[in-house]
Amino acid sequence: MNSTAAAKPASRSSLSDEGYKQLRQYGAVALLVGGLILTVTNGMSWGYAIIGAWLGLLLWKPLHGILVFYSAISVYPVLRVISISLRPTDGLLSRSLDLIPPGATFNSFVELFTEEEFLRWVWNSLTITVAVSLIGIAISATGAYAFSRWRFPGRRPMLIFLLTTQMLPASMLLIPIFVIVAQLNLTNNVLGLVLAYTSTAVPFSIWILKGYYDTIPPDLEEAAMVDGCQRMEAFYKVILPLSTPALSIVFLFNFLAAWAEFLVAKVILQSNAVMTWSLGLNELIGTFNTDWGKYAAGSVLVTLPVLLLFMWQSKYLISGLTLGSVKG
Amino acid sequence: MEFSGLSGDVILGTLGQILPLIVGIIIGIIALEVGMYLFLARVVKTKHALPFTLLAPAIIAITLFMVYPLIFNVLLAFSDLKRSTFPCYSPVALGACELDHLYGLDYAIKNFTDVFFRVRDGEILGWGRLLRTADSTFPVLLGRTVMWTVANVIFHFTIGMGLALIMNMKIRFKGIYRALIVIPWAIPGVIVGLTWKQEFHAQYGFVNVLIQALGGQAISWLDDPTAAFIAVVFVNIWLGVPFYMVMLLGGIQSIPGDYYEASEIDGANAWQRFNRITLPLLRPIIIPAITLDVIWTFNRLDIIFLITGGGPQESTNILVSALYNAAFGPAATQQLGFAAAFSIIIFLILFAFALVWITTSGGLKEIYDR
Repeated sequence: MNSTAAAKPASRSSLSDEGYKQLRQYGAVALLVGGLILTVTNGMSWGYAIIGAWLGLLLWKPLHGILVFYSAISVYPVLRVISISLRPTDGLLSRSLDLIPPGATFNSFVELFTEEEFLRWVWNSLTITVAVSLIGIAISATGAYAFSRWRFPGRRPMLIFLLTTQMLPASMLLIPIFVIVAQLNLTNNVLGLVLAYTSTAVPFSIWILKGYYDTIPPDLEEAAMVDGCQRMEAFYKVILPLSTPALSIVFLFNFLAAWAEFLVAKVILQSNAVMTWSLGLNELIGTFNTDWGKYAAGSVLVTLPVLLLFMWQSKYLISGLTLGSVKG
Repeated sequence: MEFSGLSGDVILGTLGQILPLIVGIIIGIIALEVGMYLFLARVVKTKHALPFTLLAPAIIAITLFMVYPLIFNVLLAFSDLKRSTFPCYSPVALGACELDHLYGLDYAIKNFTDVFFRVRDGEILGWGRLLRTADSTFPVLLGRTVMWTVANVIFHFTIGMGLALIMNMKIRFKGIYRALIVIPWAIPGVIVGLTWKQEFHAQYGFVNVLIQALGGQAISWLDDPTAAFIAVVFVNIWLGVPFYMVMLLGGIQSIPGDYYEASEIDGANAWQRFNRITLPLLRPIIIPAITLDVIWTFNRLDIIFLITGGGPQESTNILVSALYNAAFGPAATQQLGFAAAFSIIIFLILFAFALVWITTSGGLKEIYDR
């Protein structure tokens, strides 16, 4: 409740600071009241109250003040897109900062489905994304295991090559792939895109998985093999189940990357039939006009599932990325 | 029955393309593994039969879809492929071809020279124009890329570290703060780019509305070169902070508390504890994170492409966005041969940097050499 809890790690607090702390609390209240007064005198513009309250928080509990400020920066653009998706068509071009617009309506969502081929875009993206994630995992799970458990000729050069692929500018692969796809007349086919995404996803997946396998003691498979398992049986029955966190990170990363990919799809897919949502939304935003509402509605719909997936998996994500890095 | 562009036929059509691919690849992987294992173990009799078998699918995929395109890219640098000569390079004759040979050293010399210089009749006239304006020369683009990368990485690291340190203290609502701060990371890059582009609109975007509400002057973010560059850097910083915060917080939390207690007894102040305990112990996380961030930021073009498209007057183009524009953008006539050469130069710059940085800092050693 008191500010020493927050200030203690900074080790600046001592008993003589009590008066100072009291002063800060009074200052915070004064700022809050001042903001409210300005709000009332300026015709109920709540901006003053919000700024006053925040300055008060910053004075009273500086750390919370900083975190609230940064959280607001992170979240506000997102809330703003939601707010725009709810605007009525005639109120789209407004300078209002209200989060719930006057005359809020779901019209933009209805128009998105009826006037645009939104469902088809999402369906195309979804099939590409699921295919890439599944194929990526299938290819990298066993490869990473080989890198983790065996020393064989060519291992080091191959690992270094995988590292190097992370440095390739996207266009360096895209130029030849575009030429090949165009020559084979495969533009407007999702297969080309699936293969292009998978090949870029595999190196990073192998890295993450190898790092994770490395932290699982080899004794576990050896024990299983003593019990009569074959090596591969031990891999499928012992290692894979233990690697669920890493497998979900890899799946999630590949899913997010393919789901939101834009620049490669823009070059390879050119007809409306195979358009992904990223291409579709980009067309909606071509000019600053009434399509802004439809764009915002579409953004909300494609982002929410990913956001929920991300939040749900974030525990794995964090542990998987940093696991075993710090040896205290 | 069709709704919103989706009908039974469309669904079946896509599944007809995708399902055979997935099933085919998985059956292919199994068949390949069994066959290859039997071959290596029974015929070749190598003791590395199992690891090579396990690696085979990855090696085949990477060779077909990465190594082969890269080799083809080098070949393209030896070609005069652009929109007008596209028919020449097509296996099916599509029309008249004005070239007498398709690949040659003369093309390569021209492509690589064009990246750096403007040449007429064998005489170097100055730096080459990579795009439309005279300002988009190689040194300008390289300088801007370095500025873009350095600004991003410094802010990513300092803000991410600051937040991680605060989040590591005994503070309430930690879970809520973390969930909120991580949000930018989870939003698809296209949405981030397009949304911020709208919000930088001079009149209706919230950035200017806020600035004016606070008594400032409206800024024409997308028309003013300096403002546009600040805008794209800001968005990319906004995007990258969560990654650092998550990585660093995970690292800080795994440092045993005893270290801090012991140093506190010895009278170390907060800065000394940070400098002598936190930073050194976080090194195995900080160095790889910065290395990856430098590489990703150097190569990251989606934010720039979506928000400014490299404009106004090419003032926000970095190397990779100029490359994309030269190869596919509206600004150029798809000069693919030249772009292939340009892409090789860009890769070599990054590779040289990475080589020096990794060998001097020892970064990434922990990752591939455990």
